[in-house]
Amino acid sequence: MQKRLTLIAAAVLLVVIGLLPVLMMVANSFVVDGVFSVAAYRALLASGKQQWVLMGHSLSLSLGVAFFATTVGVPLGLLLGKTDLPFRRTFTILLAVPLLIPPYVIAVAWFAVIGAGGWITRLLPAISHHLSWAFFGLYGCIAVLFTAFVPIVILLTIAYLGAVNPRLEAAGRLVSGWPGVLRRITLPLIAPAIVFAAVLVFLLTLGEVGVPTYLRYSVYPVETLTQFAAFYDFSAATAAAIPLLIVTLAMLTLEYGLLHKQVSELANVTFGVSRAQIELGRWKFPLLAVVLIWALITVALPLAALVAEAPSLTAYAEAFSRASDSILRSLVFAVIGASLLTVLGFFWGYIVHDRTLPFWRGVDALALFLFTLPGTVIGIGLISLWNTPVTNLVYRTPAIIILGYLAQYAVLPTRMTSGILERIPPSLERAARLCGADWFMTLRHIVAPLAIRGLIAVWIVSYVFCLRDLGISMVVYPPGSDTLPVRILTLMANGAPTLLAALCVILVAITLLPLAAAALWLRRKSPL
Amino acid sequence: MSMIELRRVTKDYDGRRVINDVSLKTESGERVVLFGPSGCGKSTVLALIAGLVIPDSGEILINEEVVATTKGNLREPDQRGIGMVFQDLALWPHMTVAENIEFGLRAKHVPPNKRKERVREMIDLVGLGDYLNAKPAELSGGQQQRVALARTLALAPPVVLMDEPLSTLDEALNLQLREEILRLHSDLGFTLVYVTHNREEAQQLGTRIIYLRHGRIEGS
Repeated sequence: MQKRLTLIAAAVLLVVIGLLPVLMMVANSFVVDGVFSVAAYRALLASGKQQWVLMGHSLSLSLGVAFFATTVGVPLGLLLGKTDLPFRRTFTILLAVPLLIPPYVIAVAWFAVIGAGGWITRLLPAISHHLSWAFFGLYGCIAVLFTAFVPIVILLTIAYLGAVNPRLEAAGRLVSGWPGVLRRITLPLIAPAIVFAAVLVFLLTLGEVGVPTYLRYSVYPVETLTQFAAFYDFSAATAAAIPLLIVTLAMLTLEYGLLHKQVSELANVTFGVSRAQIELGRWKFPLLAVVLIWALITVALPLAALVAEAPSLTAYAEAFSRASDSILRSLVFAVIGASLLTVLGFFWGYIVHDRTLPFWRGVDALALFLFTLPGTVIGIGLISLWNTPVTNLVYRTPAIIILGYLAQYAVLPTRMTSGILERIPPSLERAARLCGADWFMTLRHIVAPLAIRGLIAVWIVSYVFCLRDLGISMVVYPPGSDTLPVRILTLMANGAPTLLAALCVILVAITLLPLAAAALWLRRKSPL
Repeated sequence: MSMIELRRVTKDYDGRRVINDVSLKTESGERVVLFGPSGCGKSTVLALIAGLVIPDSGEILINEEVVATTKGNLREPDQRGIGMVFQDLALWPHMTVAENIEFGLRAKHVPPNKRKERVREMIDLVGLGDYLNAKPAELSGGQQQRVALARTLALAPPVVLMDEPLSTLDEALNLQLREEILRLHSDLGFTLVYVTHNREEAQQLGTRIIYLRHGRIEGS
């Protein structure tokens, strides 16, 4: 009973934090001056071609990024997860770095490489005009977001390759070489996971506002934000957010209905079984060179350019003097958000893992839906729900930012915890129950100590995502409570490049340093 | 007096009937072996008795008290006075041998000095005096079995369930531990329900053998 009540309470909390704001937003879009009205939608439709053009831009951008990320990410995932390529673990970590860095920081970094006064412009002035033209617009947005999101495809490909039953491949190897086995057995088996990764990249790109704003490419979510921030037309903003909600729901329904079961089954059946490895032979070193060059271009080059853009301590001193309050706020909010996500996510993950509550699928689906929903939409939903005289304590304080983090990133601790719990044999928990321990005692003394390494990883991932958040913070931050990403975005329009680069380096540093510290600490601890 | 009673119990998993109208009774202090091929529902019967699984129909009684019906558990697993040795032993890998044995006593709020005393008694009972501070991974298969037995018996449960605990051991060790289980049973007098698919094991350990097949009792 103790367990059931706690899990039900956790599920209800997710509904209140995540679903209720979205429902309230939809309801509010039909209210103008306190009465039912479809005026906002009429205005949206009357704006005619402009809206369709923006939505077209958003969809082209999302399709482009998803296409390139999948085309490049799957072969890289295969190389790193399935072959005997030297240093593959190091490369996996290195190639995952862009996922930890906010996409708008990557855009600033690339500007330092190919923008006006950038490295390539100085080296090859003849092509600088063409490069700059291509960078500011659709192609630049695709390139930046592709490098930002390709690690999602790489990591998911590696994870699901590890889930393929090695006996199926061994049976194939008896009648065919590796190319045939990959084409006819391995890739078809992980195809649902690849499509899932592509859908995820598509939806994350669809909700992106920072990069298109910086690279001056008009997309639909920026329109939602403009309605809200520039005109403070709340009905129009909520109505403008609805098409994004519909696209997200349609993509997720497609993914959930057609693929999710296969992905889950693949993961559940064989995770953890040692996998068969492809020996690259004479291709080993040429392919190593390819991966090395890829890592240098997409990770090392932009980061080096960013650091070189702010080479002196004076730049950092100025950055601190201009934004120390935002840096501190970002750190505090990220720590609170990550801690709450780890605790609540533990229970959400437990619901998904345990499967005894009838609505466990709903919890998983809701968390995924909220993750893929543009941050601006969640932000507007939060304001719809909490901007009332009674709930001002939430609306006018940073609590609303934290609620936004909990809603948007719930899926990370939920899925991670569920995966961690999957690795703990159920008999360990059952044995504790039979020894007389209640559920909380079992969690405290058996489950938590066994899951501690994983839970630290959950905290770190949650911290990284809270720290880099822009979509929600930008919409909901109360006066005088802007975060570092919001300050960076503001400075993107009119700040000095050196100051902007210094702030971006600080953001990357405060993201990566705790990560490195935790990695070292975890390495010293014994594995589960 | 009957210690455990199952009255017309059925259980389905994903639309498949794994326990089909099973009724059985065990007397206090009896050694009952559930015997049958893999997948016949032996372990599910143990899980039903322990309260880890709820029956879809029928009822379960322990000590003549109804502890589970189709509505759910009337007595939770920890309130049934049952100890269980799992097939994978379920030793907590992050705890030492002493901590594994002590955990149940802590859960029952036994005072620390009494706990220590009881842990010592149990360790001596299974002959693992030198391994008090060892972690399960540092022990051999046979030693791990003994820790699992000691942990189960620490709370002096009137009923002990064993789910194929010797199935992974070599023949010599298997024989040795069977003797040990019989010795512990005769010393402590608990009711034993033992699951196996090994005929020899069943014949040595059971005063009564119940044959299960396709979720039904086929004879005893």
